Amino acid sequence: MKALLLKDCYVLWKQMRIFVVLVLVFTAINNSFYSLFAVVWASMLPYTAIAYDERSHWDQYAAMMPYSTRDLVLSKYVLGWLCMTAAIALCLVCQFVLGIINHTSPDYASITTCLFIGIIAIDITLPLVLRLGVERGRMALMLVIFGVAILGGLVAEISFGDGGSFSLPLPLAVLIPAVSVVGTIISIPLSMKLYQSRS
Amino acid sequence: MNAIELSHISKSFGSFAIQDLNLTIPCGTICGLVGENGAGKSTTIRLIMNALQPDSGTAFVQGVDVSSPEFQQVKEDIGVVLDEAYFPEVLTPVQVGKVMATTYRRWDQKQYTDFLQRFDLPEKKAFKDFSRGMKMKLAIAIALSHHPKLLILDEATSGLDPIVRDEVLEIFNEFTREEDHSILLSSHIVSDLEKLCDYIAFIHQGRLLFCEEKDQMLETYGIFTGTAEQVQSLQEEAVVGCENSGYSMRALVRRDEMPASLEVERASIEDIILFMVKGAKQK
Repeated sequence: MKALLLKDCYVLWKQMRIFVVLVLVFTAINNSFYSLFAVVWASMLPYTAIAYDERSHWDQYAAMMPYSTRDLVLSKYVLGWLCMTAAIALCLVCQFVLGIINHTSPDYASITTCLFIGIIAIDITLPLVLRLGVERGRMALMLVIFGVAILGGLVAEISFGDGGSFSLPLPLAVLIPAVSVVGTIISIPLSMKLYQSRS
Repeated sequence: MNAIELSHISKSFGSFAIQDLNLTIPCGTICGLVGENGAGKSTTIRLIMNALQPDSGTAFVQGVDVSSPEFQQVKEDIGVVLDEAYFPEVLTPVQVGKVMATTYRRWDQKQYTDFLQRFDLPEKKAFKDFSRGMKMKLAIAIALSHHPKLLILDEATSGLDPIVRDEVLEIFNEFTREEDHSILLSSHIVSDLEKLCDYIAFIHQGRLLFCEEKDQMLETYGIFTGTAEQVQSLQEEAVVGCENSGYSMRALVRRDEMPASLEVERASIEDIILFMVKGAKQK
């Protein structure tokens, strides 16, 4: 798995540089919507890695090496989680630095919510993309991104009080993390099955 | 022990099927897998490596059932070069080396670097800027740098210029000097196989037509050139296939069935294969 993650990091390295700049720009605006955008965009980076894999027929080559299907599939989830964690860490650092200047504190609750929404996005899209490929799975990706944007808007509508502070209602505060955990538990075995059936 | 043992393997894809494939490659030998495009060579390799699951039959590599969990361990001992599957195009040979170092337990970085220099491959150039020959050379360097016992090569010499091809064939020859090292080499370039292989397996439309010792084949078959009347006068068992060139006829014949009075030339492996495929008896 370490080897597969290393390969994907090399593949994404150029993207990562743009990604860091974008996250810095978005978090500087200090708005939860932009944090959500940065985190969800980070959750989509594994699809860039998969697109490069498809173009070089890497999956055929990888099948000849001592990688298990579990490693090949799980590495894409781990990559998504790592990218999102990096986005969140960057968001927090930026908001912390800006907070010193503006006398505000980072919005931990909204950023954590963004992380769970990003995980849900991965749980829905990765099985489809691993089965259909990036090209054919593009429509599903677009629909999920659209859905996430609507979900993010609804959560923001419900959660922002008059003072502009983020406070997620208790049912949602339980439901969103629970869906992300259950979704991951279902999504990984499903992805493995779909990936195997692809051959 | 056999390096590869396929027994009654069948796999159907609808319009194309591998049918009842039996192939045994003893350890320490080089087997050439020949066949036209779409004959099933790459599919056979994918079945051997468990990248495809057969509909029926069994496959063993280095004595281990490829469908068992233990086969993951055996893959450490197998170096593979594929025809058109590579690393993602933005990677450089240095990065590929680092990825492979965390993939194979016995990865030999020094050997890999030596191969890169020997093949004159730029270490920091992205894969997308490589020619097909350079890609194949890099794939060969990777396949040989983790001390494999079995090499599986799918069209590994195609796209290489004749000088490098000769050098690569010499490397494969060196590889089999260790008595437990084996190679399965699929190629269109029959002259490469003739130079290198102990066994030749011929696959046609998903069926293995034969797998025979190369020297035995060269001893068994010969080319007879004569008039149509001379060819027609031969015993039916003697003629495997023939072609009419207008002035004379060329026939692939079994030497031991030929009259001693007729001169029989040496047949190349290419002759034998071509006559077997195309040469329906036209006596």
